[in-house]
Amino acid sequence: MGKRTIIPFGPQHPVLPEPIHLDLVLEDEVVVDVIPSIGYIHRGLEKLVEKKEYTEMVYVIERICGICSFGHGWGASASIEGAMGIEVPERAEYLRTIWHELSRIHSHLLWLGLLADGFGFESLFMHCWRIREHVLDLFEKTTGGRVIFSVCKVGGVRKDIDAATLKEISDTLNALKPEIKKLTDVFLEDASVKNRTVGVGVLTKEDAIELGAVGPVARGSGVYQDIRLTGNGAYHELGFEPMIEEAGDCYARTKVRIRELFQSIELITKAVELIPEGPIDVPVKGNVDGEFVLRLEQPRGEAYYYAKGAGTKFLERMRVRTPTNQNIPSLVKMLKGCDLADVPILVLTIDPCISCTER
Amino acid sequence: MATFKIGKVVLGSLFKKPATRMYPVVAREWQDRTRGHVEIDVTSCITCGICQRKCPANAITVSRDTRTWEIQRMQCVQCGACVDNCPKKCLTMKPEYTAPGGEKVIDTFNIPEAPKPAAPAAPAADGDAAAPAAGGGLKCDTDSCVFCGLCARNCPCSAITVNRDEKQWTVDKSACVQCGLCVEKCPKKCLVIE
Ligand code: SF4
Ligand code: SF4
Repeated sequence: MGKRTIIPFGPQHPVLPEPIHLDLVLEDEVVVDVIPSIGYIHRGLEKLVEKKEYTEMVYVIERICGICSFGHGWGASASIEGAMGIEVPERAEYLRTIWHELSRIHSHLLWLGLLADGFGFESLFMHCWRIREHVLDLFEKTTGGRVIFSVCKVGGVRKDIDAATLKEISDTLNALKPEIKKLTDVFLEDASVKNRTVGVGVLTKEDAIELGAVGPVARGSGVYQDIRLTGNGAYHELGFEPMIEEAGDCYARTKVRIRELFQSIELITKAVELIPEGPIDVPVKGNVDGEFVLRLEQPRGEAYYYAKGAGTKFLERMRVRTPTNQNIPSLVKMLKGCDLADVPILVLTIDPCISCTER
Repeated sequence: MATFKIGKVVLGSLFKKPATRMYPVVAREWQDRTRGHVEIDVTSCITCGICQRKCPANAITVSRDTRTWEIQRMQCVQCGACVDNCPKKCLTMKPEYTAPGGEKVIDTFNIPEAPKPAAPAAPAADGDAAAPAAGGGLKCDTDSCVFCGLCARNCPCSAITVNRDEKQWTVDKSACVQCGLCVEKCPKKCLVIE
């Protein structure tokens, strides 16, 4: 047994857009233990429920994260709607689904870029983000914001998308498909990239279940789990099936996300065809009384929302549990036994979002 | 085994125009829906303070004493809640972002005096409460009232309850911001703000 050394990783590190700290216990070059610590970016957003009316709280909650902001807005609205017993019109559910899948596309493209950056492939990183811009433009056109959308509200959505723009969304995405494919082929086939991902950081199916992994991390380990199968949105009408890979290594997690990218384009194309006419919101009167729990599949995995009202215009509690929170134990497991040089890639493959985790 | 798969893409982009734009030489095109900054039409503002209460970022301060409407541009997160909730529709979301700068800009607008029923001045309230002094307020002359409920439907704060069957009209004084919308809408002109 070699001498043990502790190397601090983060909170400031080139691969980390957000601060998390890991104490890596090394024996020679091999990581034998990891002690994660968070707490660098806690903003106390949940506490704001005491001061912000439940209708405006949606705009606070969606600012938990800059990447899955649409999903957070949706989760907050839908949990409050659940507590109030509000039924959202079908067109609103479709619009939410379309925006949510667009978020997934931009989130996964962002992640692919970060991964490329993580193993030092700068041109690939730039090209992933170049394509992501087109998706952000679609967002700006339809919602008015590139990153924070503020289109979800309690009772439905605030803005409609007309038929011509819907068609433009699906046309733009389908036209981007060959371009995206050129880049994703690099991730899946290029030998130098595969050297960094294949067989690295294996998380077995049993471990994934045991440690409560969610999202692409769980699906990359062969766990059949996706909250889009169970409820919210228009997914049940779009014939959704989760993307599963068995290997459990970095390559499998990358592949899951790449397959989901193309699947999201399919889902949006289908939703654009099927979207019914009708109102986009229902009037909301009165205060929240009661509680509700809701789960939603964010680009990074399952997020959990809890809203509790006590008959006033302020909620009593709003709780959000985000996917990264769930995936940190799996990350610790993956890191044990890996090489020091692989740590950045492994941290990236859970697609960490620390702002989400700490709120 | 494939290597350097990216080569074609990289070489191709050598002959394409850049994906980025030379900002600020090349101006940014705004979409119609872009949420850039909030603008106010001072002539129709009634200083009700609803925008201030609804703003999740505490960016707006409305003062009835000095008749000013103030927005902290750096604080505003462009959510549009104020625009949606203004009972007089005097706020609009305009596409252009405010100019970048190192100063925290506060824009103050003076609201011209309007021939509106004068309301008692609200005590300077911090945080979310811009509620006027309790006790002052809205009165209904129940003799001429027909209990149509138009006032209740138009109240932005859901402060009025009208019960047609029992011929009852009640106002929740803590919720009323004395915006005067109900006074305007009442077909029988039986409401007054004292
Ligand atoms: S809500 Fe409208 S009318 Fe009331 S103070 Fe604000 S801008 Fe003026
Ligand atoms: S847009 Fe939102 S953040 Fe800005 S002033 Fe209006 S309510 Fe406040």
